[in-house]
Amino acid sequence: MLWVDKYRPKTLDHVMVHTDIGHNLKKLVTEQDCPHLLFYGPSGSGKKTLIMAVLRQMFGTGAEKVKVENRTWKVNAGSRSIDMELTTLSSANHIEITPSDAGFQDRYVVQEVIKEMAKNRPIDTKGKKGFKVLVLNDVDKLSREAQHSLRRTMEKYSAYCRLILCCNSSSRVTEAIRSRCLNVRINAPSEEQILEVLELIGKKEELQLPPGFGARIAEKSNRNLRRAILAFESCRVQQYPFTNKQTIPPMDWEDHISEIASDIMKEQSPKRLFQVRGKLYDLLINCIPPEIILKRLLYELLRKLDAELKHEVCHWAAYYEHRMRLGQKAIFHIEAFVAKFMSIYKSFLIATFG
Amino acid sequence: MLKALEASSEGQSVLDVPEAQMVSEQLWVDKYAPKSFTELLSDEQTNREVLLWLKQWDPVVFGSEIRSTSDDVLSALKRHSSIVHNQKPLNSKFPRKNGGPKWNNGGRYINSVSMDESGSSKSIQDAWNTKSRNISPPEQKVLLLCGPPGLGKTTLAHVAARHCGYHVVEINASDDRSTSTIEAKILDVVQMNSVLSNSMPKCLVVDEIDGALGDGKGAVEVLLKMISAERKPDVGKQTFGKGQMQRKSAKKGSKTASLSRPVICICNDLYAPALRPLRHVAKVHIFVQPTVSRAVSRLTYICNKEGMKASAIALTALAEYTECDIRSCLNTLQFLSKKKEALNVFDIGSQVVGQKDTSKNVIDIWKEIFHKQRTKKMERKSHKGSSFEFDSLYTLVSKRGDSDLILDGIHENVLRLNYHDPVMQKTVKCFNNLGVYDLLHQYIMHTHHMSLYVYLPLVAINVHHIVSQVQKPNIEWPKSHQRYRTMMMEKMDILNTWRQKIPPHIGRHLSASSFVEDLISPLLHILSPPTIRPVALQLLSDKEKNDLAQLVSKMVSYAITYKTVKSDMLPQTLKCEVADGLTLSLVPPISDFINFKDYTSNHYVLSVAMKQVLTHEVEKHKILQVGNDKTGALANEGHEVIETRTHNIPLANANYATAVDMKTNENQVNVARKLNANPTIVSSNLNTDKSSSATDSGKPLNMGNMKKPSRSSSSFFDRFKKANTKGVQSNDTSQPEEATLQKDQYPLLFKFNEGFTNAVKRPVRIREFLS
Repeated sequence: MLWVDKYRPKTLDHVMVHTDIGHNLKKLVTEQDCPHLLFYGPSGSGKKTLIMAVLRQMFGTGAEKVKVENRTWKVNAGSRSIDMELTTLSSANHIEITPSDAGFQDRYVVQEVIKEMAKNRPIDTKGKKGFKVLVLNDVDKLSREAQHSLRRTMEKYSAYCRLILCCNSSSRVTEAIRSRCLNVRINAPSEEQILEVLELIGKKEELQLPPGFGARIAEKSNRNLRRAILAFESCRVQQYPFTNKQTIPPMDWEDHISEIASDIMKEQSPKRLFQVRGKLYDLLINCIPPEIILKRLLYELLRKLDAELKHEVCHWAAYYEHRMRLGQKAIFHIEAFVAKFMSIYKSFLIATFG
Repeated sequence: MLKALEASSEGQSVLDVPEAQMVSEQLWVDKYAPKSFTELLSDEQTNREVLLWLKQWDPVVFGSEIRSTSDDVLSALKRHSSIVHNQKPLNSKFPRKNGGPKWNNGGRYINSVSMDESGSSKSIQDAWNTKSRNISPPEQKVLLLCGPPGLGKTTLAHVAARHCGYHVVEINASDDRSTSTIEAKILDVVQMNSVLSNSMPKCLVVDEIDGALGDGKGAVEVLLKMISAERKPDVGKQTFGKGQMQRKSAKKGSKTASLSRPVICICNDLYAPALRPLRHVAKVHIFVQPTVSRAVSRLTYICNKEGMKASAIALTALAEYTECDIRSCLNTLQFLSKKKEALNVFDIGSQVVGQKDTSKNVIDIWKEIFHKQRTKKMERKSHKGSSFEFDSLYTLVSKRGDSDLILDGIHENVLRLNYHDPVMQKTVKCFNNLGVYDLLHQYIMHTHHMSLYVYLPLVAINVHHIVSQVQKPNIEWPKSHQRYRTMMMEKMDILNTWRQKIPPHIGRHLSASSFVEDLISPLLHILSPPTIRPVALQLLSDKEKNDLAQLVSKMVSYAITYKTVKSDMLPQTLKCEVADGLTLSLVPPISDFINFKDYTSNHYVLSVAMKQVLTHEVEKHKILQVGNDKTGALANEGHEVIETRTHNIPLANANYATAVDMKTNENQVNVARKLNANPTIVSSNLNTDKSSSATDSGKPLNMGNMKKPSRSSSSFFDRFKKANTKGVQSNDTSQPEEATLQKDQYPLLFKFNEGFTNAVKRPVRIREFLS
């Protein structure tokens, strides 16, 4: 197993980064009155890990025995019936689904499937009525309609069904849902925390960490714990014992974006923009979300930019990202940003150097 | 005299023109339809080429006799060019009552521009002289004429065919055009001799072939079938020279008839999807608008003939307005003359002249958007108000309707243009406009406010104002967005299936986006450690074995393995290393996800040998996992020992089944030991388990124990490996490098499983395992 999985904390007691949150959650669960939970935070901060730990706290080790199921649901939507395929991950006591997989039909998932699951009350071994947990991933990608249909379900079956929602940004979850949940913000771990984790792994793996090496990985990881651990492991595989000069393997797509950025800085013309378009398409083809491309591109450009321009460029990046989220064809807006940047930069160059 | 003639023609046309009672005269369009080749208004070049193409059929259709006749035609043409025409046609369908060759009539009608006439006939003769020597039909059997309506495509086809001595058979959209009927009809045309009095060969004109999609397709299919049938048997060609009768009989036997008569297809939109296959095999001629002056001179002539007053300016305006659509011009004029009104310049924009509701093909629209009219022309148009250009573009774009495609095309092509843009401001504006379009489109789709659709063409017009150029743009079809969509879906699919293969306790923590963002790059590094040596397994040190075992367990836990892929299938895969045409690449193909153009990643690539070892190990590991589950369950039940029996232990794949047979009641350790009797590889697997402190049975084993069973050689495994390289050339994955020089001590019997070679049968004593 990769270290990411190997050293993933299994229980709330072992949580290393968000210890206080783990503590609170444990109290919540042990007091037998667990509300609906909404976990939100950037990726690689440990949301899923915490959710798994909470489940384990609730149901014991049984929660770890999961099976994957591919089921087709027949949903009656007005006059026609729709077949929906949905992958669920379930143990005896909980079910995990990603309703946004259904795309624009996510409404039916929420209305029919989740309701169906929530209705059936499990009976535990002692004959007592237990409760079950539904874990919904990527709630922020749910359409508005789906979110609206979710809120009634949350109330109606709250007696024996708990929802754990998980998303990256709570701003895309409607107020109504947020107010029905206990919101748990999982912030990205700080670099010190990441360093701590890396050192612990190093100790368990019996590795010699030269001073400063872990800090470098932590710094490059963008406060993403998963990425930090993966980078750590690939360093270990590439070269051991570690040296301080050792290169930390970069993410390939980030490298590619930095190439694009230097292309942009070198020449500003429609022709160059056309070349950049090809590279952008390349990134998009490889399933890298357009928002992340734009964000990274801005980051790379800012690194190379005169301080004078930074503010303006950031403004336009935000402007075009907003439009991108409203629109559909991301490439239009990313290119518009690149064009705008080129325009700003070129007129700046002309103004300074004549 | 003219009046009298007209009166007579009226009298006759009452019979066959239904609306004659109201109109009481023939439509001008029919009345003044060009009757001879030289009267045609369409572009000289096109006319000649069509004629040339038809002439190329002569050797096939007419045999050798045509040579003199054709010369006759030309001379007749010249002779008749000066004859003033004095007879109206009786009706618009070309009457063939006399049965004589048609070209006698052909030249009888006047040509208003006699200069043109002589010029064209000369050039035809030249062209004919050069081309007519070869005796085969033209390269392309079908002629495809396309262009906007009203330019005279049908007329040209008819006139040219008649001119060349064919009897024209027309199939148009009003006829039944299902596959079966059309096939019969074409066969009829192509193969039968006319039973009518005239024995002229027929020429098929399929009009409006793009018209109704389903029906048009039938016609296209039949034509294609016949063309391809023609290509295959070359035998048929030799009989061409011997005249049509023989040809017909030669062809009788064959099932699908081939094309032996010219076929002219006419369409408006060259890029209609139904025509795509035909476009490749047909000779395509695109009609361009005749020059305004030519159209006007013809119109003036007709107006004079009809005694209608019309100024040249008004006629010019009319022709421009209708884009030189002669049919529309004539209908308008006739309408006006009926109402006893004179053509007024100012009427043209108003209701009097009906506007055509045509959609141009999308490439023309892009050209229009990127192309700026010359300023001279603009000035001339300025009397129609400054909004003329706006209006025309707006109608152009909105009539096409397919705004998504149009905008995609703009997006694709705008950066290739050559506009002056020092600080990129125009580009920024352009892209802002595209962005606005995207937002608006998304909003419309989302809220179903279809009325907002009227604003979409404005984006295109805006782009036109920003970047349009005087020089002609080079338009490319927008493929990249489509390509991006499909490829991304494919890759998404790969990711999703991969994720489902990963055991749930790992896969649940990952989402598809985190795969590409965080996981793949480091994973590729982790999976290809440069420290590992591609040597025989028994030569590895303990530490290396440990590393290898960990690597294998990682690969298993992420459901990754190597697979043999034909190298030409994946020429760009990073993991490729060519070894006799076959390469091992990762499955799922995760290395493709970092495969950007012009980007070289510095990932270390394992050698082929190493990959093969890994593949082997991974398979083994998987089997072991399954086996461990089984034996674990078995041991719990507590079976009896049967000790000193000699077993055939099929190793690897089959060994768990026999392990069950053995009914050992020893603890798991022993079972595992037996299973692991042969390969050191498995021992390393057990090491993995040890290190990962998983719930595995092999815990208490040490390395020394493991190696003992294979006493004489360093590895039992190598023994059969050697044998198999000797004996069987099957699809084994074992290494040649790994072959040892160890001699066999036992006769070996082995059985190969598909793609996997570690299934060996040989007698072994339990003692050997236990010692």
